[in-house]
Amino acid sequence: MKFKGVTLNARTAVYLCLAVAFLIPLGMDPDGYLLRIVSMVVLFAAMAQAWNIVGGLANQLSLGHAAFFGLGAYTSTLLFIRQGISPWAGMLAGGVVAAVAMLLLSIPLFRLRGHYFALATLAFAEVLKIIAIHFADLTEGPTGITIPYGEPSFANFQFESNTSYYVVIVALFAVVSLIFWKLSTGAMGFRLRAIRENEQAAEVSGIDTYRIKLGTSMVSAFTMGMCGTVYAQFTYFFDPESIFSMTGISVRVALICIIGGMGRLWGPLIGACILIPLDEIAVNTMSDVAGLGPFVTSVILIAAIIYEPRGLISAWERLRRRAQKKHAAQSGQAAGAV
Amino acid sequence: MLAFIQSLLDGILLGGIYGVISIGLSLVFGVLGIVNFAQAQFMMLGMYAAWFAWDSLGLDPILGVPLTGAVIFIIGYAIEKLLLQPVLKAPPVAQIFLTVGLMILLENAVLLIFGSSFKSVVVSYQQSGLKIFGLFISVPYLFAFSAAVIVCIALWLFLSKTWFGRAIRATAQDENAAVLCGVNVKQVYALTFAVGVALTAIGGAVILPYMTVSPTVGGQFAILMFTVVVLGGLGNVAGALVGGLVVGVIQSLSAMVLPVQLQNLILFMVFIGILAFKPEGLLKEA
Amino acid sequence: MKARIFAKAALCVSLLAVSVGSALAADNVKIGMIQPLSGPNSVFGVNCQRGMQLAVDMINEAGGIKSLGGAKLELVPADIPTPNTAAQATQRLISREKVSGIVGHFVSSSTLAASEVTERMKVPLVTFAFADQITERGYKYSFQVTPKGTVFGADQFNYIYDMMKDHGKAPKKIAILYEDTAYGTTQAKGLRAAAQAKGVEIVVDEAYPLGITDANPLINKIRATSPDIVFPVSYFNDALLLIRGMRQQGINIPAVGGAAGYVINDFRKGLGEYCEGILSVASSNQDLAPKDFVDRFEKQYGVMPTHDAISHAVAVDVMAKAIEKAGSADPKKIRDALAETNTCDGIASAIPGKCVVFDKNGLNTKTFPILVQWRGERLVTVYPKDVATSEPVLPQ
Repeated sequence: MKFKGVTLNARTAVYLCLAVAFLIPLGMDPDGYLLRIVSMVVLFAAMAQAWNIVGGLANQLSLGHAAFFGLGAYTSTLLFIRQGISPWAGMLAGGVVAAVAMLLLSIPLFRLRGHYFALATLAFAEVLKIIAIHFADLTEGPTGITIPYGEPSFANFQFESNTSYYVVIVALFAVVSLIFWKLSTGAMGFRLRAIRENEQAAEVSGIDTYRIKLGTSMVSAFTMGMCGTVYAQFTYFFDPESIFSMTGISVRVALICIIGGMGRLWGPLIGACILIPLDEIAVNTMSDVAGLGPFVTSVILIAAIIYEPRGLISAWERLRRRAQKKHAAQSGQAAGAV
Repeated sequence: MLAFIQSLLDGILLGGIYGVISIGLSLVFGVLGIVNFAQAQFMMLGMYAAWFAWDSLGLDPILGVPLTGAVIFIIGYAIEKLLLQPVLKAPPVAQIFLTVGLMILLENAVLLIFGSSFKSVVVSYQQSGLKIFGLFISVPYLFAFSAAVIVCIALWLFLSKTWFGRAIRATAQDENAAVLCGVNVKQVYALTFAVGVALTAIGGAVILPYMTVSPTVGGQFAILMFTVVVLGGLGNVAGALVGGLVVGVIQSLSAMVLPVQLQNLILFMVFIGILAFKPEGLLKEA
Repeated sequence: MKARIFAKAALCVSLLAVSVGSALAADNVKIGMIQPLSGPNSVFGVNCQRGMQLAVDMINEAGGIKSLGGAKLELVPADIPTPNTAAQATQRLISREKVSGIVGHFVSSSTLAASEVTERMKVPLVTFAFADQITERGYKYSFQVTPKGTVFGADQFNYIYDMMKDHGKAPKKIAILYEDTAYGTTQAKGLRAAAQAKGVEIVVDEAYPLGITDANPLINKIRATSPDIVFPVSYFNDALLLIRGMRQQGINIPAVGGAAGYVINDFRKGLGEYCEGILSVASSNQDLAPKDFVDRFEKQYGVMPTHDAISHAVAVDVMAKAIEKAGSADPKKIRDALAETNTCDGIASAIPGKCVVFDKNGLNTKTFPILVQWRGERLVTVYPKDVATSEPVLPQ
């Protein structure tokens, strides 16, 4: 009883610290580099969380999430610059387009597992990239799209200060995380876990595995599309090569999630807090020697995966469990002595 | 009609090369169960090895195939022992991302060693071509294709006639049974990986007379290679060769009716289509 | 575990080294350099870096920025392999490194992404990249020393058309092949329009993906239509595939390249003797640049400076002159000085037309593209006539 009370308090404390941590950047220089990096960390955490919904919950390994990201960015941006529709509405439209794309992709491909699904999604993002480059009338082609900088206004999703963007990005992360949390707990979470443990057994016990996995994946695509809109508004410029990038987006968000811990609520944030600053530090300190930065980060990455294939959150938990066991053993001994 | 036959011929010559660079990827998956995202980077390593041999020893890239193969075999063996062995029992995501890390590592290691400039060889037959019945065959393509065919035959002999080849096939079919028959599975894994990446590297070496090499050249071939092995069936070695030919021909023929810019679009549609309707590949059984 | 601790320690040490380094160099005026130093375009990026560094060295040796008491210029590099990373890197240069201005990037899309940051942070950007969009947005902090991409395309066609017309064999049908990047499509657009204006038939008009692995489909199209001239607009690997492929099939139709891959030293190395006589459009050339710059470049790096290195050196010199004129390291003042740039001497005079004067969109109005031709291991300027150093050897 008492033990449980202590963990509850500890957990509250952790959340309080976290909330404070999210508030700190509000005091940073709005034009500063630090705020930009923090914003990128949280934005990538949101993207990785969106990936986490399909990768961690529905257990489908997607390597083409850039597809949904790009669809979101293109939908909202084109609606904004061509029709003058507010990017806020565009964000929802982008989410819907992304979710529909996931539906269309999933109908034929969903029985594929593991490697096969990964390869199919990877090819899907490449298909969209080629379409975006070729059909220039629709997408402005390979040059990419510049979002015209008008009067900053909430309706236009354009703000004077970068601090406002940070707030929007944190809100995005909160929304995606809330969705993840809702899906991973309660009856839905129970079903998804059952599917993850043993899909056939789940099917036999009356769970409609196909529909549940499909629905979850569509939610993942929807949230990824929303992230795309926010990214476009935040950077003001994107082109097909970078928005549908395999290494820059698809692999990166999956990697963040995996490094942090797949299927775990805090995995994406932990992963993003490690990977994004690592990349930045490597680029900042080693730009003088071409290739040294990426080389060093890849070495660290490989070492991390070999050291803990299940993500750093598991490594931390393992350490904690060991400490607890030790603690329990010690108190047990003490009790025995008395 | 002549144009059609010409395109078909171009496609077949090209497809043979695609087959050779992809066989290794399929072999590694078939035996180790890992999709090696860094496979195309071994092709790049092979191209650098061949270029280095040409630059320092004056060795023709095609004649230098045994040397290139040997060097990359050793590198592959070491990488398997050091990096892949620890994650063979880990979840697939960890394996995939280990190879993704390896991909970045290799590209940038080469960038650090050889610099960013494009390397290419100069050989006597580079700019020459044959004209037969109104059809053009470029000599470097022909040589590369012939080398690819020879390498495929050598591989087939190795897999079917040698003890070790049989051990590899046995492990691919049933690991536990192979262990019971006295096969050292760990050793088989390392050697399979080494053979697989060496094959891909050889594929890179033989195209050097018409391609150039830079640290990122692998990226141009990576998705192509995945398409090839999926068409042939992941893990199916003979299938990879067929898949290579199919991809080469699709690329070449689609350019006759569609903009070249869309040739990969057609390819990826076929790729997704195959995954959707025939995920075991075009050839069902190895 | 050990490896990780070691890596961390290494990072800390290098961070420390960087911060100490920047503290010592407090009096220097910093110029940010954005280039692709890794990734597929790194060969161009490294080349540009050389030109820029040499320009900085030469300016410093000549006494630095005199209006700031001889302050030295310092180049702060940022590696931007893909447009994804452009915004962060630019932001870092501005708010961390406190650069007074930024020069670069070789690739248009990365320049566009970076300019979104420089515009909002009010720091001047002088670039070499030439997608039309860069100077068509009305941005106040972006300056481009080279002509627009469509102008490059138009002149790539017009120059050779005029030259051949003078010899009584004006081309009647042409082929345009271009890679589907911002650079390729923009330049092809100018080419297409120029050819149509002259009433020349375009028999092949094909875009192809950047990472093309086989050029035979394109070459088959050329053989089927036998144009008088082929205009390929490509980076390097595709350039070599195209030219070699044409030679393999015995197609001797002359090719007039669209800068990038056709005017770098690796192109000459890759083609050997077959390189002789190949024409290309370029933004500048070694025989028009100041001799001391060219000689020193060759001595230092062992290769001929190509147009990307020279034009980036011009950009650095323009920036340095603006700092000199502003008498300040304040980005806004430098921007105002840049807007009034009117320079015709020093390294800046390497640009064809000799002078740099920006219009209200930041586009250099005094320069124009040139046509260059491979002669042995060097590129010589052959057109327009008033700047040409050699007579063109016309394709037969």
